Amino acid sequence: MKKAWVWFGCSVGVLLLAVFVGLSIMAGSPKDAFGMVRYALPHMHRGTLKVGDDAPDARLVALDGSSHFHIRERTGIRPLVLVFGSYT
Amino acid sequence: MAKIYDDYKDHADFLTIYVREAHPTDEWQMKSNVKDDVCYAQPKNLEQRVAIANDFIKRFSYPVPFGIDDMSNAANDAYAAWPERLYIIDESGHIAYRGGMGPFHYNPAEARAWLAARFGGVTPPASNSAPSQPFAR
Repeated sequence: MKKAWVWFGCSVGVLLLAVFVGLSIMAGSPKDAFGMVRYALPHMHRGTLKVGDDAPDARLVALDGSSHFHIRERTGIRPLVLVFGSYT
Repeated sequence: MAKIYDDYKDHADFLTIYVREAHPTDEWQMKSNVKDDVCYAQPKNLEQRVAIANDFIKRFSYPVPFGIDDMSNAANDAYAAWPERLYIIDESGHIAYRGGMGPFHYNPAEARAWLAARFGGVTPPASNSAPSQPFAR
C-alpha cells in the first residue's frame, strides 16, 4: 500500500514538472512560466458577454484624472469600438 | 488601432479604455518591456494609473478617445477585458462584435472587417509597421 502511494506521489511530481517545463517553453522561460501562473491566469476571464447582449456600462476617468464619463454616454448614435488594454 | 480609427472615425465612435497593467515591473515583466523602455509598477492608486495613461498618450501621440478604468476595475470586470480585448457596440446598445482575449486572440483585423462590412473597406496598413504596444496596433 505504501509503495502505491510512493508511485502516486512520483507520478504527480513528474506530471507537474512536465506541465511546468511545457509552460516554460510556451512562455519563453521558467520565469515567464511563473509569471503567467502567478499573475496572468488569475486575471484572465473569458467573460459571459456575447453578441446581442446589452453592453454593460461603467464609469471611466478622463485623462485629466478628475472628470468622469460613462461608456454608455458614447453609444446610441453610431457604433462604438471599445479598445481595452494597457501600456505594458 | 490608430490606423483603424483614422479609417473609420467618420463612421463610428472609438473609445480606448486603459485597464490594469499586463506586465508591470512588480509582477510579470517581459524582456520586451525593458527593450521598449516601458517599465512601470502596477498602479496602486488612480493618480498612478492616470499618470501612466498620460505617458502613453504623449509617447505615441495617440489619437483615439481615451478613458481610464478606475481602481475598482469596473469596466475590466464588466467586459472581461484584461489584458486586452476589442468590442463593438451597435447603435442600439448591444454587443455587435466581441473580440477574443488578448494577446493570442486579440485581432484588430476582425474589428476592421466588421467596420468594412458595415461601412465599406479601406486598405489595411502593412502589418510589419505595427508598433508593439496593443493600443497602437
